[in-house]
Amino acid sequence: MNMFKPSVIVLALSTALLGCQQDTGPQKDKVTIEKNPYPSTYKPHSTSSTLITNATVLTGTGERINDADVYIVDGKISQVGKDLSVSADTTIDAAGKWVTPGIIDNHSHLGAYPSPGVESHQDGNEMINPNTAQVWVEHSVWPQDPGFNRAREGGITSLQILPGSANLFGGRAVTLKNVPSETMQGMKFPDAPYGLKMACGENPKRVYGGQGVAPTTRMGNMAGYREAWIEASEYKRAWEQYEAEYAAGLNPDAPHRDIKLDTLRGVLDGEILIHNHCYKAEEMAMMIDLSKEFGYHAGTFHHGIEAYKVADLLGENGNCAALWPDWWGFKMEAYDMSLENVAIVDAAKNSCAVIHSDSDTTIQRLNHEAAKVMYSANEVGFDIKEEDAIKWITYNAAKSLGVEELTGSIAAGKQADVVIWDQSPFSVYSKAEKVFIDGAKVYDRQDSKYQAVSDFMLGQR
Amino acid sequence: MNKFKLSILTGALLSSSAVFAQVTAITNATVHTLTSQGVLENATVVIENGKIKAVNPQSFNADVTVDAQGKILTPGLIGSMNHLGLVEVGAVSRSVDAYDKSGLEFDPSSAFNPRSSLIPYARKGGVTQNVSVPSLPWGESGVFSGLAFVADLSGEFGSVTDRKTALIVDLGAVSDDGSRAASVQAFSKKLSEQKAKLTAKKDKKKDKDPSAEEKLLIQVLNGKLPIVASASRASQLLELIKLKKQFGLNLIIEGADDAVLVKDELAKAEVPVIVSSVSNLPTGFDALHAHLGNAGELEKAGVKVILNVAGDGSHNVYQMRYNAGIAVANGMTHQGALKAMTVNVADAFGIEGGKIAKGERADVVLWTADPFEFSTRVDKIWINGEQVTTESRHDKLRERYTTDSSMPRGYTK
Repeated sequence: MNMFKPSVIVLALSTALLGCQQDTGPQKDKVTIEKNPYPSTYKPHSTSSTLITNATVLTGTGERINDADVYIVDGKISQVGKDLSVSADTTIDAAGKWVTPGIIDNHSHLGAYPSPGVESHQDGNEMINPNTAQVWVEHSVWPQDPGFNRAREGGITSLQILPGSANLFGGRAVTLKNVPSETMQGMKFPDAPYGLKMACGENPKRVYGGQGVAPTTRMGNMAGYREAWIEASEYKRAWEQYEAEYAAGLNPDAPHRDIKLDTLRGVLDGEILIHNHCYKAEEMAMMIDLSKEFGYHAGTFHHGIEAYKVADLLGENGNCAALWPDWWGFKMEAYDMSLENVAIVDAAKNSCAVIHSDSDTTIQRLNHEAAKVMYSANEVGFDIKEEDAIKWITYNAAKSLGVEELTGSIAAGKQADVVIWDQSPFSVYSKAEKVFIDGAKVYDRQDSKYQAVSDFMLGQR
Repeated sequence: MNKFKLSILTGALLSSSAVFAQVTAITNATVHTLTSQGVLENATVVIENGKIKAVNPQSFNADVTVDAQGKILTPGLIGSMNHLGLVEVGAVSRSVDAYDKSGLEFDPSSAFNPRSSLIPYARKGGVTQNVSVPSLPWGESGVFSGLAFVADLSGEFGSVTDRKTALIVDLGAVSDDGSRAASVQAFSKKLSEQKAKLTAKKDKKKDKDPSAEEKLLIQVLNGKLPIVASASRASQLLELIKLKKQFGLNLIIEGADDAVLVKDELAKAEVPVIVSSVSNLPTGFDALHAHLGNAGELEKAGVKVILNVAGDGSHNVYQMRYNAGIAVANGMTHQGALKAMTVNVADAFGIEGGKIAKGERADVVLWTADPFEFSTRVDKIWINGEQVTTESRHDKLRERYTTDSSMPRGYTK
């Protein structure tokens, strides 16, 4: 950490005193940082067209269209509406069935904490330092986690894998398309921004406090974030200065590369989105101020048991809140649960309420999780309809991940990530029947040909 | 069962005596009796003194008559295998009384807190009774974690209705360097030794009174104290069936992820099985056959199935009815799923409740519609004959933050 600070001084001196000497010599090769060294190799493979007819369509953007058709061409939604006069390679009669955008979970640990949950599969928390912004959870993802298949059978088409919450900065998160693959890169969502996992509250202070290392308190948590952002700001300034001088024809030395600070700088540059494990109202308010102090956006608050207490603040600041409908009481910061949390957050102006799983079990039924909230809230005076509630697990989740222009809704031009449900997905008896990712059928409940099996499960008896 | 039924009386005396003699009639209900009477349409259920006085009597006098308007009335649901009443906040150690190292004899029932905020919340899910169990402390391994007990969810003092209800044993996969074979050996050895003592010649001069542990083991051997054994691997479930036969155990198996592989053997041996209907991941090598359809498969094979809530089943036992819906969506019958949360639990643990019939505990729930659906709410709920609320502090929090006030929220109560 400290090794960086002298180099700022050196750099400043070199600019001020030695600038004219550098002008004369030939420029060295410019040092650039490869921002995408583990690029996606996922290629949508559907070139055929599909027409889904006569379904109850929830678009994901607040609209419900009864007896509607969805036309998919070349992996994209081409048209949605009633009585489309088009022909397709495959037509699916979906009378009596419901169609929604593919379900998106913005909080999963699949692949990093996979099944079976054996000793050698605990790859989600690098518990060596409260700041491990240098780790990328994609390097832990085991694509053969059978949980990916179970999630797909529940309609999950995209998901964000996050590091755990032991650290103030847990590392980079990655967004995946939920397709079977032998490699992480084969699942990686093309052009999705990276996330950075941060954690408030009890977990970091318990993990490090227990070791007698900072943070041992919530104020220690805040100090830890601030020190890190100061360092990151200096790093950003050093690189910008290097780039500016180089562009001016000078021959500066590149700053020392630090992959931890690369990630934090990515946040300051607006390229990496914050995903902040944070339960309590007062902590969310402070994390928003922290982001303003250092000039980045506080992103999405995850778990947010008390988000309903600051729903207006979250809306004003444009934060998404990714929440459970009913988990509570496992620790003190999860005590003030309200079954209507998601609904109250959703009702605020400019809101972005998301339902997440953080679970290899409930990820299989995020539609049920949304149903719990919708019915519970309507019982106490809210008026939430299916076309509203579906947003929590589609469009809003996509927005939280920065991919809402690409997926999360059924609209012309969007990636054809689509689920056909056997009935209203808000019934406890509902099941996903067919799931499409970029127009390709990736799951069919009636056809075992489209039911992927993990290597791990093959031949087990 | 020779257990402490006295506590029911105590509970009744402690709860509000003013309304105690009141007779309540619930009329025009669709009553799921869960007895041989099946489902009764337009039926009347009369409640008095904490008991069901009559089902469909020719005539009745009631102080209060509730017109159910055709809605569904079921027995109250019975949660099991959680720490309800023994935990307020999981990570607040002084609010948790479920974990102890003392083993076989550990009876946590005296720590049951009827005022816990988890209890009214559980009632939102139509849960009226619960089988609470102890666990070994985190990181400890061992065979015996202690004794289960039963409480009603009235929230009143004295609501523990049955103590020493079952002995909880862990015979499944062992972490650290242990072997499950050693667990079974240790269990079997205890039983054999006790059996030998019982069959040995009596010597009035030498024989001491049996110790507390010995008394429990005697009850295990005469089948009066059920054993709940956690295990999942199919071959081990067969071992447990052998133990049941060898010692005449009243055996219940919990977990049982791979039970479908030996479902016929379990049915034949009349072993009830406690499962979570949403467990469908190979969480370990003992659970390679976990599947959403398992509850239905076991039911079809004739196994007495009990549904519970895995994970944090203490704070969220209210979800049990949703899990039943998921079981039904994947092959279980609707009546079977209802039984798996009521009469099957009562029968397996030998406790009262779980049925709507004359003389049964008056724990009943009136639902706005299908009890398993998200769109359904508990309309009214009676525990021990008294109507109770489903409101919990969670509702107070919601009200505070959704009520307009010119003053800071802290003044909204």
